[in-house]
Amino acid sequence: MTEPAIEAAALAKRFGRRRDAWALRDCSFRVPAGRVCAVVGPNGAGKSTLLALAAGLLVPTEGTVTVLGTDPAAARPRIGFVDQDKPLYPQLTVAETLRMGADLNPGRWDAGTAHDVVAAGSLDPGKRIRALSGGQRTRVALALALGKRPELLLLDEPMADLDPLARHDLMGVLMGQAAAHGTTIVMSSHVVAELEDSCDHLLLLGGGRVRLAGEIDEVLAAHTRLSAPAGTTLAPHRVVETRTTGRQLSALIRPAGPLPGDWRTCAPSLEELLLSYLRNPEAPSSADTTTEAAA
Amino acid sequence: MTATLTTPAVLAEGHRTPRQLRWLLRLHRPAALAWTAFVLLTGAALLWLGGPLTDAAAQAWKAYNACAFGSRCSYDQDAILTYKDTYTYTTFAVLGAPFLVAAWAGAALTGRELESGTVRLAWTQAVSPVRWLAARLAFPALLITVSTGLLAWLHRRAWTAGDGRIDTAKPWHDVATFYAGGVVPVALALAGLALGALAGLLLRRSLPALAATVLGVGALWAAVHTAMPYLWPTVTKVSGLGEGPQGDGFIAGEGVITAGGDRVAAPCTSIFNQGCKAELTELKAVSFYRDYHPVSHTWPLNLVASGILLLLTALLVVTALRLVRRRTA
Repeated sequence: MTEPAIEAAALAKRFGRRRDAWALRDCSFRVPAGRVCAVVGPNGAGKSTLLALAAGLLVPTEGTVTVLGTDPAAARPRIGFVDQDKPLYPQLTVAETLRMGADLNPGRWDAGTAHDVVAAGSLDPGKRIRALSGGQRTRVALALALGKRPELLLLDEPMADLDPLARHDLMGVLMGQAAAHGTTIVMSSHVVAELEDSCDHLLLLGGGRVRLAGEIDEVLAAHTRLSAPAGTTLAPHRVVETRTTGRQLSALIRPAGPLPGDWRTCAPSLEELLLSYLRNPEAPSSADTTTEAAA
Repeated sequence: MTATLTTPAVLAEGHRTPRQLRWLLRLHRPAALAWTAFVLLTGAALLWLGGPLTDAAAQAWKAYNACAFGSRCSYDQDAILTYKDTYTYTTFAVLGAPFLVAAWAGAALTGRELESGTVRLAWTQAVSPVRWLAARLAFPALLITVSTGLLAWLHRRAWTAGDGRIDTAKPWHDVATFYAGGVVPVALALAGLALGALAGLLLRRSLPALAATVLGVGALWAAVHTAMPYLWPTVTKVSGLGEGPQGDGFIAGEGVITAGGDRVAAPCTSIFNQGCKAELTELKAVSFYRDYHPVSHTWPLNLVASGILLLLTALLVVTALRLVRRRTA
């Protein structure tokens, strides 16, 4: 785990010339190699832009992104990418799509893996892509990306149109791949539940900025859920979210030091943590401290 | 056609270069087949036109011209009409080739991939976006040059076979004939290819790119046609007032030369008309002149026009490649 799989420094992307058209702004973070990283954030947070920048499909307006120790263009043969819409050529058959993958990725193609992923979905290789269901297309798109035997796999909302069974199945395939080849996987998702079991690294985006980044365990450990009497001053701790119901104040905070003994505290779940951050876009960004921790 | 497109089998083992051409052809197979059919049909029609049809029509014209006035006359009118129709259709087919290329290139070459998002698939394989576009331009360019060039050459051959033998054959400076039998369609088709690729990248949608490219090629052709008389130095023919303006070919300008040596526009061209004679006398006209291109200028005009179009094509190609390089890593 010498060099990070992705390293962004003051990364920014603006679409068009408008001043407020920033999709990403001032993003600095690292994803260590070998991790399964979840990119989380509300719609329009910049998740897809971030993945497209790492895949070399876009160029940054400002800052840099380093992928697998080099620039995204040089890393292209070693990166697998699956777009949100799972674009595939509708006129090709499943088998042709995989053969195309072999021809366009010479020297890397792993026909066995690609075939296995498709076969596990009991897909007819002679069927045309246009005749497949959304879930089946996702499977083919994943097979194409995995067949490249990537060192870094970038997945934009990979499981969005899958039923729970297929989702579970394909997550298993991905995790197996990551474990067997040490593949770094970076995937964006709305579904917190699917991240909790499989991901060990987190990148929370909001409004085009990094809100939270780091190992999930460390991020969770750095936060505390508490309840205290209403009117309690929470300073100097960083408050992510507070809510007062009656005489009770409940909050999610990042403690800056030891907490008073009369506060009832417990560890937040990943879902609670993410929801708190997503509900409170103005909450202090803790990206800086956790990136150091992650590095 | 397909035989030349298959990458040699030698590359199958241990090759390191991505095999793009095979998939370019596979993805555009319907278009490639339609184009092949178009070229074969038009080519066959042109061969028929330049051979048996020309002979039959020439024979018919010979018979017709041998007929004495008023006597009962027998000649093969069908042969003449078939020749004429086939000539018209094949000429339009050759002239339509650049527009077919433009429509395909605009709609399918890049526009469709950007619209459907498959470009994101193509650009995340081991092929850089610039190479992806270069392959999409280079290979079709070769195919288009060969096939459009073949059609134009066959058209020229068919026209030459009938020249002087068929009374209604078009003169060399007939607009459709001039273009169909020259190299301008080849250059226009290549410009259409480059324009289509660029339009697809800029508009990111298939249908608007198709429309823009077809209109663009039409506009280019109109511009080339407008500029055509000035692309090569003209020949001036001065003729007596009794003869009217003389000189057969592409006309760049004509008028009268006055006693003072000035060139002015001719109000009319026949001194056998009394009113016209009076007007010419009043202008102190001494002769007619005409600036024109004789038949010997066919190739210089063709080459200069095509050169300009190819230069423009090169600019379009460079712009498209730079656009892709700037947009992607």
